[in-house]
Amino acid sequence: MSISAHDIRNIAECDAAHLPGLLLRSQHLANGVLLGEHGRRRPGSGDDFWQYRPLYDGESHRMIDWRQSARGDDHFVRQHELKNAQTAQLWVDQSASMRFTGHAGRTTKSDRTRVIALALSILLLRKGERVGLSDGTLAPRRGAQQVQHLSDRLEVDDIQDYAAPAIGALKPNARVVFISDFMAPIEPVTTAVGRATDRNATGVLLQVLDPIELQFPFSGRTIFESLGGKLRHESLKASDLKADYVERIETRCSALRDLCQRTGWQYHRHMTDRAAQSALLWLYHALGDGTQRS
Amino acid sequence: MSLTFLTPWLLSALLGLPVLWLLLRAVPPTPIRRFFPGVILLLGLRDKTQISDRTPWWLLLIRMLALGLIILGLAGPLLNPQSTTIKRSDLLILLDGGWAAARDWQAHQFLLDRVLNQAARDGRPVAIVRLTTPSTPVFQSAQSWQERLPGLAPTPWVPDASKMQTALQGLNDQPFDSLWLSDGLAQTGRAALLSALQNRGDVEVIETEQTLFALEPAKLSDGIITLHAIRLPNTVDQSVTIRAHGTDPNGRSQIISTITTAFTESATRIPVQFSLPAELRERVSRFDIVGQTSAAGVSLTGNSLLRREVALISEGADREGLELLSPLHFIAKAYAPSAELLSGDLTTLLPANPDLVVLADIAKLSTTEETALGQWVAEGGLLLRFAGPRLATSDLSRTTEHPLMPVRLRAGGRTVGGAMSWGAPKSLAAFAPNSPFFGLEIPNDVRVSAQVLAQPDPSLSQRVIAMLADGTPLVTRKQSGKGQIVLFHVTANAEWSSLPLSGLFVQMLERLSQSVAGSEPDMKSLQGTIWQPSQMLSAQGQLEPATRLAGIAAEKLFDAPLSAEIRPGLYTHAKEQVARNVIGPDSRLLPAIWPNGTNLRGLSDRLETPLGGWCLILALLILLVDVLATLSLSGRLVSTVAVLCLLATLSSTGPACAQDDGAEARTPATNGNAGAAVSEKAWQASSELTLAYVVTGNSKVDAISKAGLDGLSQTLFARTSVEPAAPVGLDLERDMLMFYPLLYWPITADQPTPSSKAYRKLNAFLKSGGMIVFDTRDGDIAGFGTSSPNSLRLQKITYGIDIPALEPMPQDHVLTRAFYLLQDFPGRYTQRDIWVEAAPQAVEKAAGMPFRNLNDGVSPVIIGGNDWAAAWAVDAQGKQMFPIGRNASDSRQRELAYRFGINLVMHVLTGNYKSDQVHVPALLDRLGQ
Repeated sequence: MSISAHDIRNIAECDAAHLPGLLLRSQHLANGVLLGEHGRRRPGSGDDFWQYRPLYDGESHRMIDWRQSARGDDHFVRQHELKNAQTAQLWVDQSASMRFTGHAGRTTKSDRTRVIALALSILLLRKGERVGLSDGTLAPRRGAQQVQHLSDRLEVDDIQDYAAPAIGALKPNARVVFISDFMAPIEPVTTAVGRATDRNATGVLLQVLDPIELQFPFSGRTIFESLGGKLRHESLKASDLKADYVERIETRCSALRDLCQRTGWQYHRHMTDRAAQSALLWLYHALGDGTQRS
Repeated sequence: MSLTFLTPWLLSALLGLPVLWLLLRAVPPTPIRRFFPGVILLLGLRDKTQISDRTPWWLLLIRMLALGLIILGLAGPLLNPQSTTIKRSDLLILLDGGWAAARDWQAHQFLLDRVLNQAARDGRPVAIVRLTTPSTPVFQSAQSWQERLPGLAPTPWVPDASKMQTALQGLNDQPFDSLWLSDGLAQTGRAALLSALQNRGDVEVIETEQTLFALEPAKLSDGIITLHAIRLPNTVDQSVTIRAHGTDPNGRSQIISTITTAFTESATRIPVQFSLPAELRERVSRFDIVGQTSAAGVSLTGNSLLRREVALISEGADREGLELLSPLHFIAKAYAPSAELLSGDLTTLLPANPDLVVLADIAKLSTTEETALGQWVAEGGLLLRFAGPRLATSDLSRTTEHPLMPVRLRAGGRTVGGAMSWGAPKSLAAFAPNSPFFGLEIPNDVRVSAQVLAQPDPSLSQRVIAMLADGTPLVTRKQSGKGQIVLFHVTANAEWSSLPLSGLFVQMLERLSQSVAGSEPDMKSLQGTIWQPSQMLSAQGQLEPATRLAGIAAEKLFDAPLSAEIRPGLYTHAKEQVARNVIGPDSRLLPAIWPNGTNLRGLSDRLETPLGGWCLILALLILLVDVLATLSLSGRLVSTVAVLCLLATLSSTGPACAQDDGAEARTPATNGNAGAAVSEKAWQASSELTLAYVVTGNSKVDAISKAGLDGLSQTLFARTSVEPAAPVGLDLERDMLMFYPLLYWPITADQPTPSSKAYRKLNAFLKSGGMIVFDTRDGDIAGFGTSSPNSLRLQKITYGIDIPALEPMPQDHVLTRAFYLLQDFPGRYTQRDIWVEAAPQAVEKAAGMPFRNLNDGVSPVIIGGNDWAAAWAVDAQGKQMFPIGRNASDSRQRELAYRFGINLVMHVLTGNYKSDQVHVPALLDRLGQ
């Protein structure tokens, strides 16, 4: 994970407060979304006032709201807003390929992925949803404590070159978020999305790519290696490969988009040279369709 | 422009380049490893072409170019190679070598060096002949000439016709080629010498293209110095700057005046006029042209700009109206062209220190005058006396020789050739060789009809320097100290002889006054004199002391052409100094004209330039470009540049960090809190008037000092317009002193001596007008200067301070009246002795004035022992801290102490303006006198 000077300071401050830097940045990100979308409203405990209704016969007197009832002759019952908590389950690609950045000044894909995932989690948790990981390492729970657990889990690097979505602990009816570069073969993704859909879960695919990975600005005699070093490919004239490569990556993207359209999921491609905010906003809205039911 | 190669066969290597082209094309560039997550998508992709990416053609071209340049460079290309066709073995090099070549002498030497190099390579014998000192050419190996090359210097004269002739005669008949380095000035013998050389072989002439300026000798007329600048014929407008050099009154060389003028159109001779005050004019020793480093650009003046001061003394008063009979008329006429004439009486003229005093028929001088005149003569003056009726009738030098007369005189004198005498008027005898007049021609019509006669003395014959035909002395001379006394035994007018009417009289006076310095003497009066060279002019126009040069007869010195014997420079004879300049009056500079067909070229063109080095450097640069291009092709350029930058940054920041550390270690006091405190203090002190005391380290004393200055500040605030801020204590080692006008320094016996740095600060403080009040605080037990512990400490402390001479405060010191009128300066004690800077010795109290008129500066130190701070001290409630005296006297003494303190501050702040006479009437009034 690349760390800039500003982050180092953040991390240092957070170490003192036993908060990882990732968490802090994610909270900043989440606060930004919250303020921009909902004004000054703070997340409450979930027991928002909904309406007063007259006391029906046979109801317990304990239900009477005496303060309101004292104003008149009738008895009123105070009703709260009905709330159904949703479950969101994330899968975040931690493999070696995510630790790539095409430019020293740019954040790595895994760094961006983690920040977005955690920020999303914070937003959801604040709304009272349950958030967990789909691979079963962290069961969905609600509450601020879960943020800490999530950030701990998201710090772990995987030594695999590429990874496929793990949905071992997927809950029925959950909202699923897969964040990855989706460089690995697409079949496991298709399988995972299919199985999730079988369980009546809907979700989103967020593909995080470095601009280099779309442009392929290479030429000359080049040996390409994967980040883990397990794969390599030698080209005598890299510029010749560009057209083929670009075609392949675009094919991959459109395949993912097709998959989502078929299954009712949503797909988004995020480049690391754009602001993380844009991806978070998209994610929030995409999930909001399911969670913000009035 | 032509190009040859030293080793042309190396060029055949160029044929190998096409082969190299093919070889380089075949080898692919090394692969670069890249991490790329998308590699999984690349798997299975095939390169479209099986041949690897070739090295681009332009990169190959760059490499070929570099290699080609290396081959070219090694082949040794030469631009403008010197012709190598040698017809005759021997080479004669002729140098004009005069002053005209001085400016470009380095170029000449460079050229000579190259020619000699070439000759050495070709194995040719070389002879070098300088035409200014012509000799028979001796052909030697070029190497031996090269060794002597640095010693070859131009001469301050040019080769004239006779020297050309000498050179021509020195040539032998064997054939040789010649190279003539000419300075481009016309000389009469050039053509003959050239044809003689052409008879013996090829002649190549290298001529300097230059613009020559020269200065003619300066002339003084009507107080204006006129000299002419000349140049080679030219139609371009050129401006020249002419400087007058001389010495300032301290004898240091300085530029007295500068004039910039211009040659316009085709002018070759322009006048330059310096109008200088007489005092400045007499200091001018030479003129030169800026940027013209040749002997001709310098015009020495010798003594020609000096004017003798001649004091003419006569009784005069009873003879007014008879101009031609005036005893001084002819002398004044004789000296007028060359000297400043002073007239008046002896007592007013002698202080002007004239060079010559003429006493015409004066017998009686007052004792004061005689003493002064005697002293003046002894110091080197020339006293010229003339006889006359008064001298003849007086008893002066009659029985004993008068100190101001060369001989004893017989009474009455004699008259010859008159109506009552037998003999005819006498003519002059020829001058003896030891006479200063030796060599002067005596006109036939000079007759002497009356004279005073000398008593025959043993010393008479030595003192006679001119006599009449009958052997009686006409002029006698006596040395007296450094000076001399000369007596003409006839009158200065035509009464006694016709001598003053003749030209001889002028020449005789001229000869006599040569011994006292003066203007350029004319030729006739110089005949037979020998002049010693004192300073010689070099070809570059520098004055050098003359060593081992023989004296020159006057005739040759001014007429003969310059040569090794007669060099330009300054010559002296007796006290006279004349200058022989390179350029005489009314000279012309003309360019040399070479006959048609002469192989003539300039000094600067056609340089043989080896290009091999440049080829190799260019190849290296191209290889560098190749490295960069290769790096950029393989994508490593950015990282390489980054690494290089990083290395550069590391290497430059390393020492910088060390310096920072050093700086921090050196000045810990200026950083952090201490530094802030110091600057805060300085800020306070510089924004308001602040009294300061020296922190002694003894807390009790320091507290008293602070309280004392507090009390004084409050009193000042209440009574005067001085409104000081709260006093501060100063640590001499750390604090800046310059902001404080007054430093109160109580002395304790155990006080440490300040460091040398603190002493430096203290001395700077005193120099910039600060005042230190030393208080030994022991006025109760010790007088000042006794060996009380505090006094001893004071002596030790003040050892390093620059304190002027001191005196006990006089009654009329400014401190006694700077604000209050005071005579006592009590503090806690009432000791009288207070020491201040001593007043100058010479100042006397004027009559009727109560004090002397002393307008010196503020006394830098005041030393006393009355413990003033204790008397001034007040506590926080404003109460006096210490009792002084008893009861009623307490308040009186304290009041006086405060008054002293106020006077002190006033003295420091206002200086000595109370000393000003303006205030005297008011002060007198207040004093009740």
